[in-house]
Amino acid sequence: MAQMLSAPRKRIAGPRFRIDLMPYLFILPAVVIYVIFNLGPVLASFFLSFFKWDLLSPTTEFAGFDHYDFILNDDRFWNALGHNFIFLGLAVVIPVSLGLFLAVFIYEIRRGRVFFRAALFLPAIFSGVVIAYVWKWIYHPFAGVLNPTLELVGLGAFTQSWLGNPKIALYSTFIAYTWASFGYSMVIFLAGLQDISTDIFDAARVDGANFRQKLFHITIPCLYDVFTFVITLRIFTAMGVFGVIYILTGGGPFYASDVIDIYVFRMIGNFEMGWATAAATVNTVIVVCLSTGFIKWREWRSWTS
Amino acid sequence: MDFLSGRMRRRLRGAPFYLLLTLATVITLVPIIWVFASALKSNKEIRENALALPQEWRFQNYIDAWFGASFDQYFFNSIFITVASVGLVLFLSSLAAYSFAKMRFRGNQLIFFVFLIGMAFPLSAKLGPLLSLMYELNLANSRFGLILVYVAGSLPFAILMLRAFFQGFPQELEDSAALDGCSRFQFYLRILLPLSKPSLMALGIFVFMGTWNEFFQALLLINEDSKRTLPLGLTAFQDEYFTDFALSFAGINITAVPVIIVYIMFQRNLIEGITVGSLK
Repeated sequence: MAQMLSAPRKRIAGPRFRIDLMPYLFILPAVVIYVIFNLGPVLASFFLSFFKWDLLSPTTEFAGFDHYDFILNDDRFWNALGHNFIFLGLAVVIPVSLGLFLAVFIYEIRRGRVFFRAALFLPAIFSGVVIAYVWKWIYHPFAGVLNPTLELVGLGAFTQSWLGNPKIALYSTFIAYTWASFGYSMVIFLAGLQDISTDIFDAARVDGANFRQKLFHITIPCLYDVFTFVITLRIFTAMGVFGVIYILTGGGPFYASDVIDIYVFRMIGNFEMGWATAAATVNTVIVVCLSTGFIKWREWRSWTS
Repeated sequence: MDFLSGRMRRRLRGAPFYLLLTLATVITLVPIIWVFASALKSNKEIRENALALPQEWRFQNYIDAWFGASFDQYFFNSIFITVASVGLVLFLSSLAAYSFAKMRFRGNQLIFFVFLIGMAFPLSAKLGPLLSLMYELNLANSRFGLILVYVAGSLPFAILMLRAFFQGFPQELEDSAALDGCSRFQFYLRILLPLSKPSLMALGIFVFMGTWNEFFQALLLINEDSKRTLPLGLTAFQDEYFTDFALSFAGINITAVPVIIVYIMFQRNLIEGITVGSLK
């Protein structure tokens, strides 16, 4: 029997080591495009950060850690990175908690769930460009809506140049970012809530738990993994924020709202590829470490508790 | 509150939530409504009272904005690039995900992992070499080049999502198809894809939104006006007409309306695409 089965195979060369090519053919087109236009450039960026290279001339010359030496001593680099961290600190608190509360509210109501979810998610569907221009007009000194509204409700003392004041420009852009991103947290939390068994909530109600007790003792613990995902998503978007700030302030005034991606983009525009790739690599290392570190920490905490 | 019936009391318990949600919805939507209202006003009205509603609806602003910039060209570019990208992503990622989910081959886990790490890098991590590569390949300033970049960017998430979905398919289905003489490609085309329609739909809308809205890479790779996508075209338009308030508002709306229409039509699919990827 064994011989019969193996007999026809022998006609094909190398019976034991015949490789089934189909699986590779299925993944080949995806691999080719992904490697050439995504992974390749990322790896090239890492290697080229150690070479002198200005995009125009094809020659490269080994530069060692020169570019890292430059950017790590560049105040503008730390300034931009600092702003990313401010963004991150605010982003893991404000859009995430807004999203959580709105998701809980929607979960608590009976009628109109679909409407509120759809309406509150609306800003999240727009391009960063549209979001930025909407807010550019809201903040506009006199044609905008914010300053006249403040005057209307008697808070005229707070009117100001929201994007022109270096002290608050970054926070003004953060508000636009929040407007566009709390919806993501909200729909993910809501889906997480709907995955929690209703038995738990029913039991809590029978025991007379109030809203706050349910939130802190059931909802938040049950959404542990959802929190991990939502916050990881914020790490990526806050460290990679570009379009909204690029259009609202361009990183200004006087670099007061500069962030890493604008810094990198500016360097590329100046053909300073060494500095651009070195700065991008530092940012990549930070993002990868932050996100994987955070996920590992959350996993470790859920095992130990 | 004993005098209230149980039903009434249940209703009242939900009231604070309705109140807060309504408040949040109003705050969220006011900027959008205000932009739409402003686009119908005259410049004089905007300058004199930014908060007032339009006295008469000036749809002329939209016409002026449309012809003031090459919005028809931007529109065409955006539709062409987005539709081609979504189609390619769906085709390539479903092929690859089928292989990763259902076929045994050397390197399966490793290659899948290589795709996964693509999601961990920030966008700026590839920009410099990407720009240089696109010039080398004569793909800079090209819609086709932008499509390839967008497809490459969407593949990791798409493969991750579809692989998880395909893994849920019973093996018996494939076995019985194979018994009937169905090749793996036929199985993919005739059975797997039709059965995955809801997932492909959710993924497709998700990728559509991401591609339609993309700005950073388009800004880097495209600098010819005739090849700009809508977000890119809007920035050019705003730079030119920033002093013409009404036209600026109309320009924003022209860019926003198609997304709103797609959102209204496919809201469930989009949210499914977001949440399925996150919870599985």
